[in-house]
Amino acid sequence: MGLLVNDRIVRAGAVVNLAAAAVANAVVVYTVPTALVGARSVKIHRVNLYNNVAGNTQVLIGTGVGGAFAALLPALDSFNGLVDAYGPETDLIQAESFANITAYPVALLGGTTIDIQLEVIVCG
Amino acid sequence: MPDLYIFKAQIGMVDPIALQNQNVCIHYVQNEHYRKVDFLESIPPFQCINLGALAALTTTARTNVVNLEMPNNEFGLFRWWPLDDAQIRLYHPSGVAKWQLRWLQVPLDMNIINRDPNLVSTEIAVWEDNRPAMEAVNGHAIALGAVRIIALGYRFHTVSLESGAHANPQLVKQLKSGDAPCTHVWCSGRGIGD
Repeated sequence: MGLLVNDRIVRAGAVVNLAAAAVANAVVVYTVPTALVGARSVKIHRVNLYNNVAGNTQVLIGTGVGGAFAALLPALDSFNGLVDAYGPETDLIQAESFANITAYPVALLGGTTIDIQLEVIVCG
Repeated sequence: MPDLYIFKAQIGMVDPIALQNQNVCIHYVQNEHYRKVDFLESIPPFQCINLGALAALTTTARTNVVNLEMPNNEFGLFRWWPLDDAQIRLYHPSGVAKWQLRWLQVPLDMNIINRDPNLVSTEIAVWEDNRPAMEAVNGHAIALGAVRIIALGYRFHTVSLESGAHANPQLVKQLKSGDAPCTHVWCSGRGIGD
């Protein structure tokens, strides 16, 4: 049963546009599977950020919105006009969540946005 | 009949412990039932229970694993492991500790897939609705979001050799004396001194 050691499914989430800064505007960036036999959780495997000339800022990833937001990771840097890729190679922590994962940028230059995409390991 | 034993440690996944038309003796606590297998099928790995979110340094209530119950006249053979980092204490039935040594009830945790890759030491059998129960212990200073258990194995439908249409007193006598082959299947634990 050696395969059990690698008991995981890797899935990519949709590209989500973060168009508003601040925790009150956190949006769902990965939805945990439901309606299956057994409870599923997801572990963050990779995070890609594309900064649409939004200025140097940071993106918070966690669960919930507003006062209910709970960070899963420390803030990730997003540099102006660049793609920032976080994953095992950059020692990204594989934080686990049983709730839908949300994210928000700390700040945005007027009228700009950040695209985010998560790749997760589905457990359960 | 070298196949007629439990706790097989072959390379690969779990083997059935009896095949079509082979005889079994179901042991449940102090009861014995001599029966013959007339149908079997595999059960792929599935999440049999989620013991739920568990706060730091706490233990769940003892919880019956109802999804491992079997229909009438059937027994299940299961091996299992936890997906989340809790220690699991097994009871079978709920009032009888499994893996009980003189001073210690041995728990099971996620390391089982490295230390016992075939999960041989996790093997249990369930007779009809006499399901096991589990407790989960979170030793971490942070909460666990869930304690999920994965099980896999076989389902065996059996007919009685002691009564009914398939009764065979002569065969039962041979099974009891060891003159005919039979797999003994323990479908419960046993209390200390019992």
